[in-house]
Parts: sequence; structure tokens; C-alpha cells
Amino acid sequence: MASGGNKELHRRAFLGAAAALLAPALSDAAENTGIVPIRFGLTPVFLTSDLELLGRLQSYLQRSTGSPVTLVNRRTYQEITALLTSGQLDAAWICGFPFVAHRSELQLVAVPLWHRKPLYQSYLIVERDRRASDLDDLRGDIHAFSDPDSNSGFLVTRAALAQRNLRPETFFAKTFFTYGHRDVIRAVASGLAGSGSVDGYVYDVVSELEPELTSRTRILKASEWLAFPPIAAPRTIADPSRFEAVKRAFLQMNDDPEGRAVLQMLRLDGFASEDPNIFDTIAAKAALVAAAG
Amino acid sequence: MNASRFRSWPITIKVPLAVVALMILVGLVLSERVLARLTETQQRHLVELSQSYLDGLSSAIAPSILREDNWEVYDAIARAQEINKSLHPIETVVTNSEGAVIAASDPKRHPIGTSFSPNDISKTKAFSYSAGADTANAMRTLSYPGRVAGIIYTTFDTRHLAAERRDVLMALALTNGALTILLAAAGWLLVTHMMRPVRILSEHLGVARETLAVPVPDEIVAKTTGEFGHLFRGYNGLVRSMKEREDLSKRLAEEERLGSLGRLASAVAHEINNPLGGLFNALSTMKTHGHLAGVRSSSLGLLERGLVGIRDVVRTTLAVYRRDSGSRNLVPADIDDLGMLVAPEGRRKYVTIQIDNRLDGPIAVASTPIRQALLNLLLNAVAAAPEGSQVNATVSAGTAALEIVVSDYGGGMPESASAVLTAGYGPPPLDGGGLGLWTTSRLVAEMGGRIEIERLRPSGTTIRLIIPILRAELSDVA
Repeated sequence: MASGGNKELHRRAFLGAAAALLAPALSDAAENTGIVPIRFGLTPVFLTSDLELLGRLQSYLQRSTGSPVTLVNRRTYQEITALLTSGQLDAAWICGFPFVAHRSELQLVAVPLWHRKPLYQSYLIVERDRRASDLDDLRGDIHAFSDPDSNSGFLVTRAALAQRNLRPETFFAKTFFTYGHRDVIRAVASGLAGSGSVDGYVYDVVSELEPELTSRTRILKASEWLAFPPIAAPRTIADPSRFEAVKRAFLQMNDDPEGRAVLQMLRLDGFASEDPNIFDTIAAKAALVAAAG
Repeated sequence: MNASRFRSWPITIKVPLAVVALMILVGLVLSERVLARLTETQQRHLVELSQSYLDGLSSAIAPSILREDNWEVYDAIARAQEINKSLHPIETVVTNSEGAVIAASDPKRHPIGTSFSPNDISKTKAFSYSAGADTANAMRTLSYPGRVAGIIYTTFDTRHLAAERRDVLMALALTNGALTILLAAAGWLLVTHMMRPVRILSEHLGVARETLAVPVPDEIVAKTTGEFGHLFRGYNGLVRSMKEREDLSKRLAEEERLGSLGRLASAVAHEINNPLGGLFNALSTMKTHGHLAGVRSSSLGLLERGLVGIRDVVRTTLAVYRRDSGSRNLVPADIDDLGMLVAPEGRRKYVTIQIDNRLDGPIAVASTPIRQALLNLLLNAVAAAPEGSQVNATVSAGTAALEIVVSDYGGGMPESASAVLTAGYGPPPLDGGGLGLWTTSRLVAEMGGRIEIERLRPSGTTIRLIIPILRAELSDVA
């Protein structure tokens, strides 16, 4: 929201406006020539408000796939997941939790590499000066979750409580969802929430970009390494060439200057083709939670 | 200080003081009006801005408030504070209908779920702001038909308004102060300048009270125009006429002295002429029969008596009319001399003059004015007395005063003459008559004495002079 200076805001606004003008033009062109644009969904997994990033990603994907690309943003994971499973999107960057939840309906396109691994952690964060050392110390808190379909921003903490035979609504005094990892950090930093569950990757990148925001919080506990939120596509696809084009675009992003720029902005090393088994730990957590009821 | 003391202050102080007082009053009234207007404007702007802030915030949080979505409400507050920076919102608290905090701009002060009740009664009004205060409060109840959904409490920082107010007040105070000092100084200069002619006139009048009036110098009169020019010229005209009058009085007194001298001169000449015939006869007898011892001695005796008579007449005349005869004290002989002086005039008019000189030694009064005054009275009485009548004069001395009484049996002194005689330092008679009486009146007044006039029955006048006798030590000094 208030990240970056005025100059950057202007630059972003301009690029955003350019992208907004460009996208419909391309879509119209596609409709006129009979080419259906590739629809790519984005969850608020990361800096979805960064219009420059969106513009460059769209530009890269269009050039790489040779097709017009429409980026679809929604407020919640659930909306994107629903669009994806119903075949209204060709691919989407979703979270590991919906991926395992809809495993039968989805297939992996690529998994981002962060620090050269397709892994990340979930952080349990508290206010900087808070005297607490473990999840157990947070009883009676107001707790900020990111999204009910987020692995790192909900499932990990939920599963940790389930292991203790606890439920968030009874363990915490109150919980709320911010529908964005950065907003979880803001909620904890401002004191609105006593603690929060946040994506470790997002937290680290935000601490690099906005150290004054994360400096008001500290990491109470980091989870084990879990599979990074993947790019997924519906399991049944009408046109395999479009799927391949999208997959190739992600896997070869590192070979292209614009792709590298996008990766640099995302602080990622690239995308890799991974075995869906890396999501088993997340699936186990989901199962644990489901068993707890 | 009391009012009478203020009234006695010079006008050069009073006018600037009045200007200062007036300016302070005007300054106070103006400042009050300006500040009132400023407060009104500030308050109106503040109300408008706060309402627009609350409008924006209300529409942003209305759906979230029903869901009690803490994050969305908090995010809306944070965004509204960011957007409305010019309004300086310090704190915003949103509660549900039970007063439990849904979200606040500072969650640490007002955590979620804690009960918020405004500690200040002014916070429960839709808007409250008092001029010069550091904060203003606004409240908005979000209600849906039938129930209250939530309440927004906002506190705005109004220190910049208070500072603006202070700046305006300071500017007003400085401007008014400077203007007051300036106008007071201008008033002082103006009044001092305007009052200069009055001061000059007042100084000249002050001098006139003690001595003779002095005219305002011509160069000052020439420089002064307008009303004060007229005033100066009028004053100088007055001074001139006073001086002329004074000079005239002196001249008249002198002329009267000379006039009476003239009248006497013929009497004296007659007095000297009378024995001259006898003297020449004696001389002729001496020439013819000088060898006869008896004739010679009788002729010499005749000559001697005649010459003594002439000498006495001359001496007396000299004594009366000699200038600067000093302030010798009165002696009995002075009165006798007067008898001798007026005797010829009496004889000429066939009036007997009876002088009763009861003095037996020197009296501590100046002889010259007494003699002149008495001579004037005697001559006046002789002139008024009918033929064959008698004029009586009595001179006697008590311990404190010398009393001289002159009576005649004339037709009585006219009222105008009486007025001149008893007027003291009064003006000389306009028709030029009665100068002798006027001179007498002045002389007596100068000696500190007084004159009483009594009309006699069936006719005649008695005039009484009472002259105080100087104390011994003073007479020595004199």
C-alpha cells in the first residue's frame, strides 16, 4: 500500500495504466483473429499490487507463448481455485493447500525455486517486543491469518493446533483474515493482532523491501520446509499445446532478459518441474486438520 | 488616579493618552472580531473536512462493520488517515453498537474487543471544537434502519489551527501596538505644535500678571497664521492700548501737577508782588533819608520782613514742587506751609481758610504725597466754597493713622467727582476734568490709605483722608 516512494508510485501507476490499455487491445485483437487468449490466474500470494511486476509478467508470457495473455486477479485464493478447477483459467499461481485439496482436478505446471529450492516456510510472527517463545504462549491472542486456503497463512498454524487437539476459535480469543500476507505483517506490526501466520518467503522479501514494517515484528517460530506455492493447471485440458507453451514459458524464464527481470522482482531463482510428491507434507497437514474436524 | 488629577494634566499628555486608550479599545474590538471570524472560518472548514472524512470512512467500512471484519475496518482507517493527511486525524476508533472496539488507528491503545467509552463528554457530540484547542472531536453513528451498526470516533489534530490563531493574534497585537505608539506620538507632536501659540500667549499673560503686559514678538506673530495669528494680533493690540492708557495716565498726572503749579504760580507772583511795593518804598526812603538812623533801621526792618516773606513763599513752593524731594517724613511745618500757599487763592476768592494743625512732631508718613494731596483738596474746597464762607482743615495723628479732614460749604461734591476720588487706582476721568481729585485718589492709594466723603446739611462736603502710619522700623528703611 504505502510501500515505496512517490517516484516509484508514479512509475507503477504509469506501467499499470500502460498494461491496462495494452491488455484489452491484445484481447480484442485475439478475438478478431480467432485466437483465444491464455488466461493466467494470480492469487494474492505475493505482491499482486505491484503493477509493474504484473505488466512485465504479462509482457513476458505473451512474448514467450506467442499468444495474448490475460492476467486474472481475485481477492481470495478460493475464487482463483474455483476458476481454475472449473476450467475458466488455463493456469494459475496458487497455494500448496488448494493444490493438495484439489489434487485430482489439477496438475503441476512448475514450482518456483527460492534459494535454488522449491521450498519455503511458514512463519508465526509476533510483535517485536512480545515475550513469547512458542505457539503455546499465544493463547488468548487476536491472531491474523492470511487466507483460509493458504498453507503458510492458515493451514500450518491450524495443523499445529490440531496436533495439540486445539482449534483456532477456542485457542485464540479472536482471529481474522487479511487476504494478503503483507497485511498479516501490517496487522501484527500495528498491534491490531497479537500474532499472525505468514508466508516466510513473503516475509523475507518484505523485510528486504520494507524493513521498517517487518522491524516492528519478529519471527516467533518457523515451520519445517514445505513445497513452494506452485503454478497449476486443470488436469483436463482442451489444447495441450497451450499448456506446453505456458509450462515452457515458466521453465525457461531464466533464459530471457525480461523473464530474469520478472524473477529479480519476485526474488526467485527460476521455475522447475517438480514431482507432485513434494506437496505430501502439506497434504498430511490438510488431512490432520480434516481429521480434527 | 482620580479624575480631577487627570483633568489637571497638560493637554499634550491628555490627547496622546486619549489616543492610546481609543486605539487600545479599537484594537481590542477589531482583534476580537478578526479572531471570532477566524474561529468561525476554521471551525466551518474543520466541520466540512471532518464530515467528508467521516463520509469516506463510513462508506468504506459500512459492509465490514456489519461483519465485524477487524482487518478491513483497520485497513480502511489506515487508508483514510493516509489520504486525509491535511486534516491531521490523530486517532480514529470504530466500535460496534455495544461500544466494543472493532478497530482503531492505534490498536495498541484500543485493542480489538475492548470497550471504548469516550472519557470526554464533548466526544459524544457529532462535532466539537473549541477555538485555540489542540484537538477537535467528531463522531458518526452508522445506522441501518432499525439498529445501530457501529460508531466512529475521530480526534483531529488542530494544533496548526491554534498556531495560526496565535500567529494572527500576535500579528494583530504587534500591528495595533505599533499603530498605537505611532498615533500617540503623532498626537503628541500635533498637539504640542498646535498648543505652541497658546503656550506663548499664556507665558506672556503670566508675565503681565506680575509686571506690565509685553507684546508677543513680531517675528512670532508673522509666523503664526489662522486663528492664533488673529489672537496674537488682538493680544498685541490690547497690550498697546493698555500701554497707551498707562502713558496717558502718567502724562495727565504730570499735566495736573503742572496745571496746579500754574494756578499757584500767579498766586505766588501776587504774594511776592505785594511786599515788593513796600520794599521799593523802603529802598526809596533809604536813599532819601538813609542818613537818619531811625529811618534807616525801620526801612531795613521793613526790607528784611518783606524779603523773609518772599523767601518763605519761594521755599514753600520749592518744597512742594521739587522733584525727587525724597521720602522725608511729614513735619508740622509742612502743613503750615500749605496754609501759606493756599492763603493767596483764598484771599482772591474771599474765602477764609482755617487750618487746624494738631501735629506736634514728625509723623512716619511721606511728606510729599501728603502735601500734594492736601493742597489739591484745599484748592478744590476753595474753588467749591461760596464767597465769604470758610474752609476748614484739621490734621491730626493717632497711633496708627494720620487723619486729615477738609470741609467746605459749597454745593456739595458731584457723584462723578466722588467716584473719581474714591476709585483708588481707577482710570483717569474721560472728560479730562477732576484730574486733581484723580491724582489725590492715586496718591492716597499708593500710601495704603483711604478716602471717605460725607455730604453736609444743608450743603457742603467733608472729605476725610486716613493714611496709615508706617511702623518705626519700616520708616527707618524708607
